[in-house]
Amino acid sequence: MRKQRIKTPWFVLVFFLATIIIGGLSSCNSKKKLAKEQAAIAYNTRVKQAKRDLTAMLNGTTSWTLDEQFKRLNTIKSYNIDDPQVKDLIVKVENKLNAEKAVAARKAEEERLQKEEAAKKQAELAKYNAINQRFEAIAHAGSYAEADNLINETMSIFSSPDVPVLIIIDQVDGVNDYDRPTTAIRFLNYLKDMKAYKFAVDSVKRNAEGKITELELIKK
Amino acid sequence: MNKMKKITYTLLFLLSVLMVMPATAQETLNPKRKQAIDSLALEKVRDLSKYIIIIGSKNTPWSEANRVINRAVELFMPGSEMGVSSLLRPQIAYYPVRRYFERLMRLNYSKVEIEWYKIDYVSDLRRQPDGTYVGVITIFQKFKGYNKEGQLVYQDTTKKDVTVYVKRKETQIGGQLVGFWDVLLGDMRVKETEK
Repeated sequence: MRKQRIKTPWFVLVFFLATIIIGGLSSCNSKKKLAKEQAAIAYNTRVKQAKRDLTAMLNGTTSWTLDEQFKRLNTIKSYNIDDPQVKDLIVKVENKLNAEKAVAARKAEEERLQKEEAAKKQAELAKYNAINQRFEAIAHAGSYAEADNLINETMSIFSSPDVPVLIIIDQVDGVNDYDRPTTAIRFLNYLKDMKAYKFAVDSVKRNAEGKITELELIKK
Repeated sequence: MNKMKKITYTLLFLLSVLMVMPATAQETLNPKRKQAIDSLALEKVRDLSKYIIIIGSKNTPWSEANRVINRAVELFMPGSEMGVSSLLRPQIAYYPVRRYFERLMRLNYSKVEIEWYKIDYVSDLRRQPDGTYVGVITIFQKFKGYNKEGQLVYQDTTKKDVTVYVKRKETQIGGQLVGFWDVLLGDMRVKETEK
């Protein structure tokens, strides 16, 4: 049996090819348009979000930390958004964050210095523990004889019984307010009489032999 | 002419206000400092109460009592007096403080108990023209006297007012000028005595 060949007319083929080409071109154009539209939508969303974030940072209504705010600001800057409002907000937020950074740095430095000072003070107080303990012992002696023995022992750390003893009653603006100055022997007897030691050694001056020549106490 | 007088008086008044203003500002004590001075004065009265207990106690050695009398006297302005009352007589006797302490040391009881309580300001410290701060502190004193058999033979509760004087002074210590607040007690007046 002989195969029958069907001959497609040429114009059908041309039409078919043209349809494919035109269809393909049209599809490519609409894809590009769609992509362009999508890019525009994304850009607008980014601008809107940037404005929202920058405004929140400027008004201080965000819960972000300062570092997080700087990070977000840098991200927004990297977008190179060509919008006058965004550009203005960036300048304002950058100034605000830099000012906050300076304040935070100053505060951190102050806190560091305070801690350093407190540690120094603590170390100094620890240095005076032995003296404070002697005074506590006199104040809590069980009898006059015991108190007098402790006073005699304690007098050995002073250069003389008349060593000045200053009592700080308060410190205002870095200035010490003192009670009437007394002497070592009178102060030790005062502890014996009051049966209480309500002070702490604040500073001590010593002579070459290591004996106390001036004592400064602070009220607790 | 009258107008000139008015202007002159106004200028003089303004000048005097300007001259007084800085002094007034200096006189105003920082509240924290004021509180510290208030506490210091109260503390001195509490110290006196401890000294009185030691002096009055029959267990205090004579030498100790005399030493404490000296310390107690130093708390007072020179010439200050102490009021003494008794339920056994209507009048109030006033003694120089040293004499009062010496009498207290020699009271004719075998045992004496003295307690001071409710120590507080009745009149706040106020600045006087000479720069001294003056206030009044009130105290309640409970006194009990026992005989050698240990029986309570006398007791009373006395309300007393003491004037306190606080003044800023300076002294040289180790070649340096040190400013301090000097608290001195004045007369101690009896206000009420009851059993």
